[in-house]
Amino acid sequence: MIGLLYVAPALALVAVFFAIPLGMTIWMSLHDWPLMGQKRWVGFANYERMWGDSGFWGALSFTGTYTVAVTIGLLGLGMILALMVERPGRATAFYRTAYFLPVVIGFASASLLWAWLSNVDSGLFSPLMQNLGLTERRVNINADYGLAFWSVNVMVVWKMVGFFMVILMSGLQSIPRDYLEAARIDGAGALQRFRFITMPLVRRPFALALILCVSGSMLAFDQFYIILNGGPQNSTITAVYWIFNESFVSFRLGYGAALSVVLLGILLVLSAIQLRLLRDREDGS
Amino acid sequence: MTAISEIAARQEVAGLELRGITKAFGQVEVLHGIDLSVRGGEFVVFVGPSGCGKSTLLRLIAGLEEVTDGDILISGHDVTDDDPSVRGIAMVFQSYALYPHMSVAQNMGFGLKMAHRPKEEVARKVNAAADVLQLTPLLDRRPGQLSGGQRQRVAIGRAIVRDPQVFLFDEPLSNLDAELRVEMRMEIARLHRELGNTMIYVTHDQTEAMTLADKIVVLRDGRVEQTGTPAQLYDDPGNVFVAGFIGSPKMNLFPATLRDGAVHIGEDSWPLPSSLRPKENEGAKIVAGVRPEHMRLAGQEEPALPFTVTFPEFLGGTTLLHGHVAGDIPCVIEVERDVSAEMGAVLQITANPGDLRLFDIHGQRLR
Repeated sequence: MIGLLYVAPALALVAVFFAIPLGMTIWMSLHDWPLMGQKRWVGFANYERMWGDSGFWGALSFTGTYTVAVTIGLLGLGMILALMVERPGRATAFYRTAYFLPVVIGFASASLLWAWLSNVDSGLFSPLMQNLGLTERRVNINADYGLAFWSVNVMVVWKMVGFFMVILMSGLQSIPRDYLEAARIDGAGALQRFRFITMPLVRRPFALALILCVSGSMLAFDQFYIILNGGPQNSTITAVYWIFNESFVSFRLGYGAALSVVLLGILLVLSAIQLRLLRDREDGS
Repeated sequence: MTAISEIAARQEVAGLELRGITKAFGQVEVLHGIDLSVRGGEFVVFVGPSGCGKSTLLRLIAGLEEVTDGDILISGHDVTDDDPSVRGIAMVFQSYALYPHMSVAQNMGFGLKMAHRPKEEVARKVNAAADVLQLTPLLDRRPGQLSGGQRQRVAIGRAIVRDPQVFLFDEPLSNLDAELRVEMRMEIARLHRELGNTMIYVTHDQTEAMTLADKIVVLRDGRVEQTGTPAQLYDDPGNVFVAGFIGSPKMNLFPATLRDGAVHIGEDSWPLPSSLRPKENEGAKIVAGVRPEHMRLAGQEEPALPFTVTFPEFLGGTTLLHGHVAGDIPCVIEVERDVSAEMGAVLQITANPGDLRLFDIHGQRLR
């Protein structure tokens, strides 16, 4: 009984902020649930409707593309930065702080900043490119799918790379120097040491970073909503953006809930696959 | 052909030469011009207290640190600026440094894999080394599943597979328990005998140094204090530091005065035969050293020191008596087990003058 008392606060938190909302979402997804007016039990009708909803699948496919691109950028650059600042040196503390600083900015603030920077008239990028002679006239970054897509990717990498750098750096620092020295004596060059010694030994922190990165990117919303409003031509609408539109623009709360449940399922499957692929086959210590 | 003779036949015996090796970390110089010559096939032990620079010297030979000044020659080739992998060395680390995500066989074959050797050759060499070290049943295990002694053997196996000209050992036994340490010590001695390679071994344990070495290099504060065979260092220490460092229990060192052809310790004196008298001034302050096993109970007519026992230590075969002479100078003597001495007893002790080692006030040997 006493034990139950000790875990009660944790249980209460999990119940209030996870279990009950999850239960409610699933419950809602089984109803036709307008914002105002009577809700109506529809069983799995929302899920059936989803099959024919090309907008949702399009959004999901765009989210997948974005996730792949931004994950490669974040983890690739994060690893490079981590390797650069891992060992104690004269200026490494400064660089670590500098790279990490954007992480503490809110996503909405960073997006607003980026929206301004990429504005064709009053921003920085377009006028700068023109003044430097790189473009003949001002290019509206946000009006072209490719440019807009990569612009948001660059923003997210700038904002989040410090976070993944820290996770990967802690992993790199936990590798004893002896391993790398033994590998040097064994004749492994810098790239071979990275491939055969460092990478396998940062598996665990890498798996953590990968799962955080993929699940975070699959849930992307703020940046596309604030910077691009889903444009140009609704080509940058993510899954969560679509759910937001269904729920709070079209007020189909039940349908939005059903889409959320499906997205949760997709994330669970993706995380399980990643954990399995990066499973530590090392036995013992 | 047995596995070990096959390995031995593959390996070249190389000498090693250090010329004026200096190493500084920033402003701090830790090695001050080390000169050393090692013959091919010699087992050389670097010994000294922690911080003396012995591990740094080994890492310089391995190429894991860059020398500040001086040259390193292996088999007559200057390797000072060479990469560790092409120096013809292999190293066994204190932590073993076995790659935890690879099997024993992969650990041992990693160097050959990096050198793009054919798979059959890697397998053959790994199997031969595993055979020598009784690791064959463990080849598929990972380091995490092995005991300390087995990991140690894998680390040695990884070194053997590389066919090095010179083996480097960095305190390889310090993570093992006492019994295993003795076992592995004999194993390493056997390997050296059978492979015949040059081996450089770093330790702070003078027993390991004495039992393994053909040649011991005693280091202190980045300088070589003395180089010689274990017997030379034991019998003929060049200074007080080596006298105190080599041998267990330590050599007794008594502050003394040289007067009238005798060594005076406190109130008592030890006459020296004229052949043993150093050319020092009358009344010079010196240090007289005698090993505990060379001290004995004095006969009736012999010159003797009164020795007050403070603590008898029974070792089975013999007894060590701890105590002091001439007031409060600490002294240890080794006596037969049947000598009974209670705490506080005063014994008359002596030693043959030939077993005395005299040092000047700066600690250098008087001859």
